[in-house]
Amino acid sequence: MKMLFSGGCKNGKSTTAEDCARVLAGDRPLYYLATMIPHDEEDRARIARHVQSRAGKGFTTIECGRHILDALEGVDASGSFLLDAVTSLLNNEMFHDGIVDFEAGERVAGELCRLCDRVGSIVFVSDYIYSDAERYDDFTENYRQALALCDRELARVCDTVVEINYGIPILYKGELPL
Amino acid sequence: MELIIGGAYQGKLTYAKTVLGIPESEVCDCGAGDIDLSRRCLYHYEQYLYRCAERDEAPVLPTRPDAVVIADDVSCGVVPMDSVVRAWRELCGRTLTAIALQSETVTRLYCGIPKRLKG
Repeated sequence: MKMLFSGGCKNGKSTTAEDCARVLAGDRPLYYLATMIPHDEEDRARIARHVQSRAGKGFTTIECGRHILDALEGVDASGSFLLDAVTSLLNNEMFHDGIVDFEAGERVAGELCRLCDRVGSIVFVSDYIYSDAERYDDFTENYRQALALCDRELARVCDTVVEINYGIPILYKGELPL
Repeated sequence: MELIIGGAYQGKLTYAKTVLGIPESEVCDCGAGDIDLSRRCLYHYEQYLYRCAERDEAPVLPTRPDAVVIADDVSCGVVPMDSVVRAWRELCGRTLTAIALQSETVTRLYCGIPKRLKG
């Protein structure tokens, strides 16, 4: 089963996604695709909270901030994967080495769809950043548009699409395995 | 009347064209020019509302009984610092709530997927 989770910040997306990924794994290997590249103490603290949250849940962590398909090298692709999060992966691909890559959205969307196709089960976590009245600069607006493209493409290829609201799932497509 | 709402880039216009079968010739892009109430589909209605907020004018509401209003939801962020943006955000909330009340159908798009909120 392939699933997309999105929703607001600190709404319980990761915790629910971890539970789903574990159920989907059954007896197969369980992998955590960690996409954040830490830049400061705040990032390191955020990562530490996520590491603690999934401690003892049986995940093998694969750190992969860019080129997400490389994460499949040497792993059992028939296992269950949790990718947390699409947001930071796109950020790393779009803004790196002092450049802004405006092609990143289409490329990452394509790579994520291929990843989705190649694995046994996967849960993607993204962030819903589309309903405010802020008027952003071109870089931010381009990033927002690119993330939405990734989300829509993943929603198309996934069996299940869920919005998490304060820990409560709202289903847009398919069912939860819980 | 039908209201299609959702965050930015969620597939609202694609839904109107493919599912409701609205041709390009019936779409008025209110983000690109003035509102044209003779067209069936009022796209980026929130951008029309922005100009109303700038001019401190009351918005016109769709008149065609088969009108399809498409608007970005701008209601969920922090209260904006800029007074025009603040007025716009409130005008969007009030106007779209009034349009939703008059609509037979209200649909929210999420990651390209429609969810019927009314009708």
